[in-house]
Amino acid sequence: MIGLLRAILPICLLVLATPAWAHSPIMGIGGVFGGMLHALLIPEHGMSLLALGVALGLQQPVASRSGVFIFVAALTGGLVVTAFIAEPALAADILLAATGILGLLIAAAWVPPVVGWFLAAIAGVTFALDSRPEVTSTDEIIRMLIGTGIGAALALALVTGASTFLKGNAARIVMRVLGSWIAAIAIMDLALRIVTRIATG
Amino acid sequence: MALAAVSRRSMSRSLHFGLLLALLSVTAGPAFAHSENGVAIDFVGGFTHPIFGPDHVVAMVAVGLWGAFLGMPAIWLLPVVFPLVMAIAGAFGVLGVPLPGVETGIALSAIALGGMVAFAAKPPLWVAAVLVGAFAVFHGHAHGAELPVGADAIAYSMGFVIATGMLHVSGIAFGALSRWPAGRIAVRAMGAVIAVIGFAYLGHFI
Repeated sequence: MIGLLRAILPICLLVLATPAWAHSPIMGIGGVFGGMLHALLIPEHGMSLLALGVALGLQQPVASRSGVFIFVAALTGGLVVTAFIAEPALAADILLAATGILGLLIAAAWVPPVVGWFLAAIAGVTFALDSRPEVTSTDEIIRMLIGTGIGAALALALVTGASTFLKGNAARIVMRVLGSWIAAIAIMDLALRIVTRIATG
Repeated sequence: MALAAVSRRSMSRSLHFGLLLALLSVTAGPAFAHSENGVAIDFVGGFTHPIFGPDHVVAMVAVGLWGAFLGMPAIWLLPVVFPLVMAIAGAFGVLGVPLPGVETGIALSAIALGGMVAFAAKPPLWVAAVLVGAFAVFHGHAHGAELPVGADAIAYSMGFVIATGMLHVSGIAFGALSRWPAGRIAVRAMGAVIAVIGFAYLGHFI
């Protein structure tokens, strides 16, 4: 019996081991860096930045830069509001809807500047409103929101910059496929969220 | 004295047995009693959902095959149209909007798409796109109607869409063989097999 116990004990302990979550935005990492991770590691947020970046990258350089500035301005305004109010319930849904529309536009390889700027503004505001960290200290909330703003702005600038280099035929096909996948994920996610909300009251 | 020793040994065994039971009960995995068919409702659940349905698999592979067979731009357009329409129809399925003849539509999709490849049909691009989109409605609705409430929506959706895309890519990869004469025969034979599987589903033989 003791032999069996000795044999099983290490296996049980290994099975019991939980992930360390060393890079989790939730546990253990706060402040500006925690806010940056919060912006980047939430799948919906990452997907929206990817979609917006690729969509803006499809535009001419001037229009593309304007789109990034509009996003940053909207994001900053949204973060200021987020610091003082509770998280609005529909922000995540509107962000998903904007992401879905961006995905459709990428799949169609047709992103008019005005539409891109409008969606950048919507994405910026809703991204910020959906980013309120679940901490109680006001100072910590402000630090994390600053990190969220920096992380989101940097990520969008990087994706937009990278996608402007994807000009070849194969790259354009990959972008169209990526756009269709983003749109499909956003549509399904939105439908599941709505039904779950209705079912759970 | 001897009685005391026996009693101690018995107690020690009971303690070890109790410890063993406690460890095993703590390490027990979740039963997934409220997930669809015991499958986790997360990325893996979403990823395996289309793959574990052979009727869906053959139709999605057929889309890739046909796209590759038709060449540019169908090779990317058809796999772009399918997941988009499928997601929209899936949303209606999730919302509980009824659609009659879903299973028949899925079986017909395998017959039609497999048949197009088998007979090397090359209709105008818009006809191919409309046909693929029309069949995607049935697949999407079926998947959507089966989705469980309370799923990790984003992870599930990502897994689901990526798996669908991978099935299209596998069809395109096989369809790329059609550049060579022998490969063309192999691709058309594959189309015929898919159509036969569709007939088997339609006749409830599978």
